[in-house]
Amino acid sequence: MGGAAVRIEHLTKVYADGTRALTDITLSVKPGEFLVIIGLSGSGKSTLMRCINRLIEPTSGKIFLDDVEVTALPLDRLRQVRRQIGMIFQQFNLVKRASVLTNVLSGRLGYLPPAWALTNYFPRDLRHEAIRHLETVGIPEKAYTRADQLSGGQQQRVGIARALMQDPKLILADEPVASLDPATSHSVLKYVEDLNRRQGITVMCSLHFLSLARRYGTRVVALKAGQIVLDGLPHDVDERRFKEIYGEEALEVEIA
Amino acid sequence: MERTPATRLPSAPELPRPGLGALRVLAWLLVLGVIYAYGWKVTQIDLVELATKWSLAKPLLVDLVRPDLMERYPRLQTSEVGIGLEGTAPPPAAAPSGPGRITIAPTTPKMGDQVTVTGQGFEASRPVELIWRDQAGSTATVGRAVTDAGGGFVARVTVPKVIGGENHLIAQLTLEGTVLGPSNTLRLTLFRMVETIFLALMGTTMAVVLAVPLSFLGAKNLMSRSPLSMSVYYLIRTVFNIMRSIEPLIMAIVFAVWVGIGPFAGVLALGVHSIASLGKLYSEQIESIDPGPIEAITATGASMLQIVRYAVVPQIVPPFIAFTIYRWDINIRMSTVIGFVGGGGLGFLLFQYINLLQWRHAATALWAITLVVAVMDYMSAKVREKVV
Repeated sequence: MGGAAVRIEHLTKVYADGTRALTDITLSVKPGEFLVIIGLSGSGKSTLMRCINRLIEPTSGKIFLDDVEVTALPLDRLRQVRRQIGMIFQQFNLVKRASVLTNVLSGRLGYLPPAWALTNYFPRDLRHEAIRHLETVGIPEKAYTRADQLSGGQQQRVGIARALMQDPKLILADEPVASLDPATSHSVLKYVEDLNRRQGITVMCSLHFLSLARRYGTRVVALKAGQIVLDGLPHDVDERRFKEIYGEEALEVEIA
Repeated sequence: MERTPATRLPSAPELPRPGLGALRVLAWLLVLGVIYAYGWKVTQIDLVELATKWSLAKPLLVDLVRPDLMERYPRLQTSEVGIGLEGTAPPPAAAPSGPGRITIAPTTPKMGDQVTVTGQGFEASRPVELIWRDQAGSTATVGRAVTDAGGGFVARVTVPKVIGGENHLIAQLTLEGTVLGPSNTLRLTLFRMVETIFLALMGTTMAVVLAVPLSFLGAKNLMSRSPLSMSVYYLIRTVFNIMRSIEPLIMAIVFAVWVGIGPFAGVLALGVHSIASLGKLYSEQIESIDPGPIEAITATGASMLQIVRYAVVPQIVPPFIAFTIYRWDINIRMSTVIGFVGGGGLGFLLFQYINLLQWRHAATALWAITLVVAVMDYMSAKVREKVV
């Protein structure tokens, strides 16, 4: 198993209310890269991520996952592509009233016959696999706890386990640690880094802290007002570049 | 963070002069005084009456603490025979409730004939009542006797003129002493109590069945896609609001005229009102679901059905259950009142007892209402605690 390549060509997104979120983005991500996307809130990071699995429909432009043109797929084929793309969210987006195990298993839904959903049926081997993924993220004992009983860091680890359940070739992480404290941020990102290093899964991850971007990223792309203003190695982002991206008043805040 | 330069605060707006302020307060007090004085007069509040005439309510209040629950019944023992008239075969008779047996001679009499009834094995020196029961089930006393020292008796009875061939002659012996049993009022009250609970259940169920689909049409987040769906949304919400503002009591009067006095009118009244109340609560719940899980499940490649099952249903079903049980609880309370205007159930019974000034009977019904409401309240709280 390995990672997928992502190719974005002239991607533009204009929302119905006229907001221009992305303008002519062209970007290639190689298999196995850990791409960190930085930029101010509202710079288009989330829109870019959601265009890749078409949670948001692009206005124009093409997106390829390996050699499949995602933007040209009908809905049923799109679902087959979506199941190869794991997604991790800032607000975790777990089903709060369901158990941790059900939340992890729901990552597998794209592979299962929809009718099984009516009886909440998951085969035994999938349940075992879900527990294994919970072991990977270090919380197997929480399998039968309700998701909303967990701390933020634990919830995000469930989010990672859910993405793992998809057998992903690409992980989209939309500010995965923005709601977490510094120590928890590191532990969560280390799990993502581990998947990237050991299984070669391509990662696209938006982050707010430059220190985290330098520590985990193999490549950094900066967005400003929907356009790419920087594309380089993590240590390329110096004081001057930083001020270009975040504005003159910005001060870099360190995260331990 | 950039430091903001200290700016001069804008000068405070000019305050009204203190004299004017006091006058305004005084004027408001005067208006309030007039409002309450008029209210006192209109609602005919009379504290003197309240204090001096409490003795009028005394029998009612006293009877409230001694509801009609139990009654002493005479101990009875019966034995019966089946009699066929006008060529009908003698119908089967029920088994005797004691050792005593009766026989008749002749065994196939005609109307107007004299029949000799012989009893044996009864308790000694007790009164016996001979009762004729015709095919329609109505009974009449046709003779009396007293058992002798050996527990037997002989009596002559004239066969009454009846319609229908299957008849029974029953000997009913009154034993010494009495037995304590639930009173008629209690039995009737319990029957009506069950009626009340089911009245509320049926009304609530009817409301749920209709409110669930309607609530999706009344949820703004689902309906804001096109002008057409938006107008459906406004229509549904308007209907909900109008229906909710009509008291179930008024609806019960309307439905009692429509389908007749009885529990069905109550079911309809509660149901229609609950559709609106539940519909509004459900809609608001649908509007407030978190889009995050829907986004996450969609991103896994799930189909529409799977998204609904794993991202939408877990978010709306527990609150729906909680609202529904809460509504059932309210409806049980309402159904007791709805009886007063012809909606059946305990309220109807209570209304009758009060009109007949049967305070002890009314007390039984009142306590039953209290009990049902308290128990349902407790149970619904427990269930809601568990579900949400």
